[in-house]
Amino acid sequence: MTTATLPTSAAEARGKQSVPFLEVQDLEVEFHVSGTVQRAVQGVSFTLDRGRTLGVVGESGCGKSVTSLSIMRLVPQPPGRYAGGRILLEGKDLLQVPEAEMRALRGGRIGMIFQEPMTSLNPVYTCGAQIRESLSVHSGLSRAAARDRAVELLDLVGLPSPKQRADDYPHQLSGGQRQRVMIALALANDPDLLIADEPTTALDVTIQAQILDLMGDLRERTGAAVMLVTHDLGVVAQTCDDVVVMYAGRVVERAPTKSLFADPQHPYTIGLMAAVPRIDAAIGRLATIPGAVPPPWKRITGCRFASRCPLATEQCRTEDPPLRELSPGHGVACWRAPIETVMS
Amino acid sequence: MTSIDAAAAVDEQAPPAIQPWWSRLMRDPIALFATAVLLAIIICAIAAPLISPHDPFATSRAVMKPPIWNAGGSWDHILGTDGQGRDMLSRLFYGTRLTLIIGVVSVGLGGTFGSFIGLLAAFYPKLEPWVMRLVDVMLSFPAILLGLALVAVLGSGVTPVVIALAIASIPDTARIARSIAVSVMKQEFIEAGRAVGLSDIALFTRYLLRNCISSIMIFMSLRFGQIILIGAALSFLGLGARPPTAELGMMASQGRDFLLFAPHIAVIPSVMIFIIVLATNVLGDALRDVLDPRLRS
Repeated sequence: MTTATLPTSAAEARGKQSVPFLEVQDLEVEFHVSGTVQRAVQGVSFTLDRGRTLGVVGESGCGKSVTSLSIMRLVPQPPGRYAGGRILLEGKDLLQVPEAEMRALRGGRIGMIFQEPMTSLNPVYTCGAQIRESLSVHSGLSRAAARDRAVELLDLVGLPSPKQRADDYPHQLSGGQRQRVMIALALANDPDLLIADEPTTALDVTIQAQILDLMGDLRERTGAAVMLVTHDLGVVAQTCDDVVVMYAGRVVERAPTKSLFADPQHPYTIGLMAAVPRIDAAIGRLATIPGAVPPPWKRITGCRFASRCPLATEQCRTEDPPLRELSPGHGVACWRAPIETVMS
Repeated sequence: MTSIDAAAAVDEQAPPAIQPWWSRLMRDPIALFATAVLLAIIICAIAAPLISPHDPFATSRAVMKPPIWNAGGSWDHILGTDGQGRDMLSRLFYGTRLTLIIGVVSVGLGGTFGSFIGLLAAFYPKLEPWVMRLVDVMLSFPAILLGLALVAVLGSGVTPVVIALAIASIPDTARIARSIAVSVMKQEFIEAGRAVGLSDIALFTRYLLRNCISSIMIFMSLRFGQIILIGAALSFLGLGARPPTAELGMMASQGRDFLLFAPHIAVIPSVMIFIIVLATNVLGDALRDVLDPRLRS
């Protein structure tokens, strides 16, 4: 990310003097389903500064989507409940602000891109109308100004002939086009924080690359902070400055991208990386991590990954490892770290 | 960005626009026929004062005259006369008019309220158990019994019948509206709407209601036929319009006394009810086929 150093370092300098732009502290989210308590997110902490991209990775059900929805305070309550922790946006706790203020933040200072472009747009309104709706809620633009701005946004996200597309209904567009509209919608009011929940998962690979490039471009242009939720390590390596690896509702490893890929420390991260197919490696079976993620209602003593970990010891099974810093910025929640030998 | 633009141009080709629903509806001959019949009936009902050959309430000594196609029929009374010598054709026009009004008003009132609480139950899951239990209670109460009770309180007439029918159509519409709305609420665009910062009112009307309304309207059109039948049954039992007002169910009821000598007095209004109910049901089915995206092949 050497090309983006100028705005980034400026933001960093500002960030170091004051509070971080977004800080999640010990977030706990529970779901109460038919008498059981499912702890979807347990003590998740991370920070994100302006102009930076944070990748949140993990397999399905590890709590990464719940974490991103929590920042928007969109976890349905009930069955969800914020059991603890704080989400600080420039020092203000988003879990405490009144609903009206939260509504102003959603779509205003915080934009969100959803996973399923096919179903994330309201089918009964044109794409332009949906963008104008968001503009009128937050910016109070006049009709004509909102119309122009909507077309401008569709142009910005690289939709060809944006004027015509603004009058199209979602079902008239392809998946990639719809995702561009979603991004335009998320960017409508120049958000400072862009949360993208698996924005490319439902798209095919060529469109994925375009959407990621687009998001990178936009981040550089607007200086927004981007939180990218994904299960695709390739996407992370390509786009993120920092990475948070989640497993069963916990952060197991947190590091700058370079450091994480050069020297992964948690056995889970190592396993994930071994499972990524490589174009330069010999053809053979892909590595897998044996077992499955423990179900969220299960109470576990010790490390959550112990049952699947080849390095687990007695201590791993009885004591929960805290996240500790091995090198500056590189934290890992594992008793056995630092791990010298990379698993095959 | 050039490579991106080139690729974006490729995926620009949008799927062909779907034909509007009415043109697809009109290609179905049965639906077309049902629409024509219903339109004709509605026009006759609206124009009843203009096209009726006689005063529908004026009695005469020419009682129980047979319709034109039977021996002894005359062009003066095309459908004959009833037991009090009133012109059947004129009474049929007026009776259809009142029956349609009762049906439309009660389905409109009950359906609107029913779908509102159904949508509300889906929108606010906390309300759901309360609303749906209330609906269950209403569902377990027969419309005829409710009509009897209301007539006992309010006296017989059109108003208590309309109220009874409106209340009778609440629970069904509420349940249908809720089940439609629950599936809409699960769609990601509802969450996306929240993420844009919309208020609950905007989300309810522009996201939920707008996506449910066509399905609900179709259900109400199907419901309309049933409501007309129940309304006719209430009139038949003597709970509805008071004589000499013409109402199809009441006309059939009055014809019962002459069933052996002049069957047309009971049969003609009954056939009219049959045609109205059949036409609305056929049309409702066709509308559902055309508008429901899941049935669109």
